Amino acid sequence: MLDAFFNPKSVAVVGASRRENSAGHGILKSLVKGGVFESETNLPFKKKIFPVNPKTNSLLGLKCYKSVLNIKEKIDLVVIAVPAKIVPGIMKECSQKKIKAAVIISAGFSEISLDGKLAEQEIHDMAKKAGIRILGPNCLGLMRPSSKLNASFGPCMPPKGNIAFFSQSGALIDSVIDWSLDKEYGFSSVVSIGNSLDVDITELIEWAGQDKETKAISVYMEGLKDGKKFMEIAKKVSKKKPITILKSGRGKTGIKAVSSHTGNLAGSYEIYKTAFKQCGIHVADNVDDLFEISHVLSMQPPTENGVVIITNGGGAGIICSDHCDDFGINLVSLSKTTIKNLDESGKMHYAYSKSNPLDLIGDALSDRYEAAINTVLKQKDVHGLIVIQTLQTMTEPMLDAKAIVKARKKYPHKPIVTSYMGGKFTKKSVKFLEENHVPDFNVPYKAARAMRALISRKEFLSK
Amino acid sequence: MLNQKKALALLEKYNFSYPSTTFFTEQRIPKIKYPTILKVDSSDAVHKSDLGLVFTDINNAKDVKDAVKQIKKVVEKEGIEDYKMFFQEKIDGTELIFGMKRDAVFGPVIVFGLGGIFVEIVKDVAMRIAPLTRKDCLEMIDSIKGKKLLEGYRNSKKVHIPFIIDVMLNLSRLSMNENHINEIDFNPVIVNEEKAYVVDARFLESENA
Repeated sequence: MLDAFFNPKSVAVVGASRRENSAGHGILKSLVKGGVFESETNLPFKKKIFPVNPKTNSLLGLKCYKSVLNIKEKIDLVVIAVPAKIVPGIMKECSQKKIKAAVIISAGFSEISLDGKLAEQEIHDMAKKAGIRILGPNCLGLMRPSSKLNASFGPCMPPKGNIAFFSQSGALIDSVIDWSLDKEYGFSSVVSIGNSLDVDITELIEWAGQDKETKAISVYMEGLKDGKKFMEIAKKVSKKKPITILKSGRGKTGIKAVSSHTGNLAGSYEIYKTAFKQCGIHVADNVDDLFEISHVLSMQPPTENGVVIITNGGGAGIICSDHCDDFGINLVSLSKTTIKNLDESGKMHYAYSKSNPLDLIGDALSDRYEAAINTVLKQKDVHGLIVIQTLQTMTEPMLDAKAIVKARKKYPHKPIVTSYMGGKFTKKSVKFLEENHVPDFNVPYKAARAMRALISRKEFLSK
Repeated sequence: MLNQKKALALLEKYNFSYPSTTFFTEQRIPKIKYPTILKVDSSDAVHKSDLGLVFTDINNAKDVKDAVKQIKKVVEKEGIEDYKMFFQEKIDGTELIFGMKRDAVFGPVIVFGLGGIFVEIVKDVAMRIAPLTRKDCLEMIDSIKGKKLLEGYRNSKKVHIPFIIDVMLNLSRLSMNENHINEIDFNPVIVNEEKAYVVDARFLESENA
């Protein structure tokens, strides 16, 4: 239904400019090279690109057209980056050309004035009549690594992956892409929603629900127009794929001073949160959450509430168990059989904790980790593990990671998240963990947060 | 705000129980069973108890006279012209609060919590977008921190949960049907072994109603 946006056979850029620091130039370059900033993730668009600019003959080695009407071939997608006041005229030409979809980058519409709102309405009516779908206006554009499509003026193509990211802030996308190059997550698509004159968050979520490349959906949201429709769609989609939303605007402003008691209790943010929970949506508290929750949900199976912490540092274990308490994670007791098996493994330190958190003591080598992980996972009511590693002189980060990955394969229904508390010296093994679908978090708080998400997901799915 | 007569009619329409209510004037004070509660009904007074227009401890004819005197003082000071007085049967039980807010994005939102300080200070409430199912109601009840009080704790008696669910479902139905009502406070609803009584109901209408 939104195929022309995500898999077009030809793209025109109206407002493609010679000025290197203009949005129009950036968009054309993003299509031609895959991105403006150099990155190994950049993928040049291999199908047809048509720059449109009446003042020049060629741009970045491509023939330039005076108008979309001068292009003979069919056009699936047009990206419009011209001043707001001439957008209606351009849209008229696009209607005549029977273009399927338009991304309107231009700002200066309903977000600034009544005149802008009227212009938006005019564009909306025209597009509806001509059957053109619109993304924007006032947006950054969209990216789809698998189609080698970067129709945006973001910094570069994001790494390919399975998270669909929809954002009501364009600038946030810029930063998220830059971060994602450093962290281990990738995207099936990144869409800047803008003023959502036509295509809105709800429709994108519905699209992502049936998109084969998307396993998890992350949304940055400022507000919705139709909450009922959103809930109807989100409820259906989240049965299939996890949705995580960061909603901004938590202040109490806008609540009338003289109101009912209920009116004062039910602030706007609380109501959004209530609606999200009813739809099985994960509520992110901050930008990190927004991607880390989707990341873990796209990698590991939902699970029942019963977790054991395995650690080589007592302090780190207690910190983690405190976080688990806060998140309502049930830390199960080790059974007599498990302790007996640990004792008999011959790998434990004489002073190991024999309880949950299972402290292996600082000198634990990978064979001790391996014995502990496998023995504990055998216990029936243990449904998941948080494995913490602090870096001590004898610690073996890579061998520990290999033991973890092996256990993951042996117990596919029992998720393991790790917290390799370190930096430079653990980087390689963290990468290995991530490549093998074990999400690692630098601090125990985030590991507990991730495990909570897997438990919540299971609770929602078994309702 | 809907006056008491209209409010009671709505309660009636949606099968809520409420304590027996007897309107009276200063000239004609009916025979009444003491102890009782004496309240003032006026659209000009949204926060009646804050103004001192709710008398919860009326034990004899003299208490009635004193209360009426006090009411006259307050309404004069506040410039309240149109008002009525009524007796309300005194109900014992556990105090709860229910409410509704019609949200511009999501429509009616139902709110539930334990009465008194639990709602006012601790803000221990459960919320849900209407319409509600029975399962929604159970989850709401389950999610409040003070749930133990409903199960019977120290001085509080065990509360019959189906009564609470009925109030929630009726409130949900009312909210979905009566589009002119923007906000509702049932504060308190008192639940005992027999019923859940809506002791005080405030219905705020939307401005264009």
